[in-house]
Amino acid sequence: MIKFVDTTKIYSNGAVGVKNITLSIEKGEFVFVIGASGSGKSTFLKLIMHEETPTEGEVYVNGYSVHNMPRSEIPYLRRSLGVVFQDFRLLPNKTAYENVAFAMQIVEALPREIRRQVPLALGLVGLSKKAKAYPGQLSGGEQQRVVLARALVNNPAVLIADEPTGNLDPKTSLEIMDLLDEINQRGTTVIVATHEKSIVDAMKKRVIMLDRGELVSDVKRGQYTNED
Amino acid sequence: MKIRTLRLLTREGAANVYKNKLMSAASMVTITTTLFILGLVLLIIVNVITNLEAKKRDLQVKFYLRVETTRLEQEEVAIFIENCRATGVVTAYEYESREQAYENAKKNLQNESLMEGLTPDNFSEGYFVTLANPNDSDQFIAKLKLLSGVNPKWITYPKQELERITGIVRVFNYAAIFVLVVLMVISILLISNTIRLTVFARRKEIEIMKYVGANDWFIRFPFIIEGMIIGLLGALLAYLLTSQAYGWIVDGLNNLFSSIMITNLELMKFDQFAIRILVVNIIFGMTIGVIGSFMSVKKHLDV
Repeated sequence: MIKFVDTTKIYSNGAVGVKNITLSIEKGEFVFVIGASGSGKSTFLKLIMHEETPTEGEVYVNGYSVHNMPRSEIPYLRRSLGVVFQDFRLLPNKTAYENVAFAMQIVEALPREIRRQVPLALGLVGLSKKAKAYPGQLSGGEQQRVVLARALVNNPAVLIADEPTGNLDPKTSLEIMDLLDEINQRGTTVIVATHEKSIVDAMKKRVIMLDRGELVSDVKRGQYTNED
Repeated sequence: MKIRTLRLLTREGAANVYKNKLMSAASMVTITTTLFILGLVLLIIVNVITNLEAKKRDLQVKFYLRVETTRLEQEEVAIFIENCRATGVVTAYEYESREQAYENAKKNLQNESLMEGLTPDNFSEGYFVTLANPNDSDQFIAKLKLLSGVNPKWITYPKQELERITGIVRVFNYAAIFVLVVLMVISILLISNTIRLTVFARRKEIEIMKYVGANDWFIRFPFIIEGMIIGLLGALLAYLLTSQAYGWIVDGLNNLFSSIMITNLELMKFDQFAIRILVVNIIFGMTIGVIGSFMSVKKHLDV
């Protein structure tokens, strides 16, 4: 499903993104990617969605060779992924409904399908009542739910979330995590980058730990700090 | 891309014109200004060219018969000229008889003593011929020389003047093309700058669309529609301005020239060009809008 083979990303200013990472993530897994700021979590996710390209090594995602991908194929890769960003990245002049619908419009879904799927997705994240609100009128937690609904609406095989709870209070964070778990239960691979110890410890999922770009541990049913 | 997607994106682009009112207005003013200037410059050039062409047609071939021509030779020349008019080579001609020539000479000299001893028989018949196409003059004069009644030394045609006018017309034609190209380039630069600001203000939006998996055309298309609409509106506004301004200019020039006793200035009516100006404006406006959008979105698509 997702495979990194000896992947290295050095940024043009010399900063190390990730270094010699080799790992694979299977279908249906729930994976935390943890580490301090600058450990390479974000780079790891960016390499998956072709926001960045590796300087060395290979990255395979959903059957795409991301490391040497023709530009025209990038949109298709991204459509096979649902992505949740820490900074939400909602279109400011579209309502919650329109933001979710947008993800379906770009895959040229039938209007009938859009009218059916968007309310379902908004319902799943508990935002049915705010469908007509613009991002500016929603709280952080609500915006993140809209982002989740947008990421889910096309039933992607993989859901990527970069610090999805970074801007949220603990209670809302837990709710978002429960949602991600629920989505995972339905068969979607979920990859979450976070540095929030409490969440990782509570969920008991696979934990990949990065430090200064290098893979330092990869534990099934792990915790944030593996002292044991 | 499917039809319904195109429709969706067209609506999106149209809505954006309204949503980004300020930027739309700025772009529109740019297009209107350039097209307005372009329209006026072209109208002036067309007027100059038309007047010069009219002047060119006024240039006449003048020739006189020999003083000692026979009646037969005179008739031969008359038939030749009449034939030329029938076939369209000559649009009009004037005939001057010996008597008329004598009278004219008397009038022009205004000095009786110089005319003493002269009778109409000392003068010869003259023809003043206007050619349909001034470029035929060489051929026409060659034929005249074959006629025995025509005095080959007395054939005149203001060739130099013709060449000068032709040269000036050519210069103005090039000037028209030059102005067209320069204004087009300037307005594309201006408009792409304005749209670049719009796009820059919305680059986050473009990025988000890319990250959600939109392809380039999906993002570009609404901007292009937007550019097209702004171009169209700018073109229509420029058309109205041009027709008004041209009216004022023509009135002003006519007043000015009649006050200094020049009455043969042939200024064209705007109506003669209305459709052409409108079409040129619309084509230019929309092209400028589309190229501008295309250029300025391009940069932000690489994420």
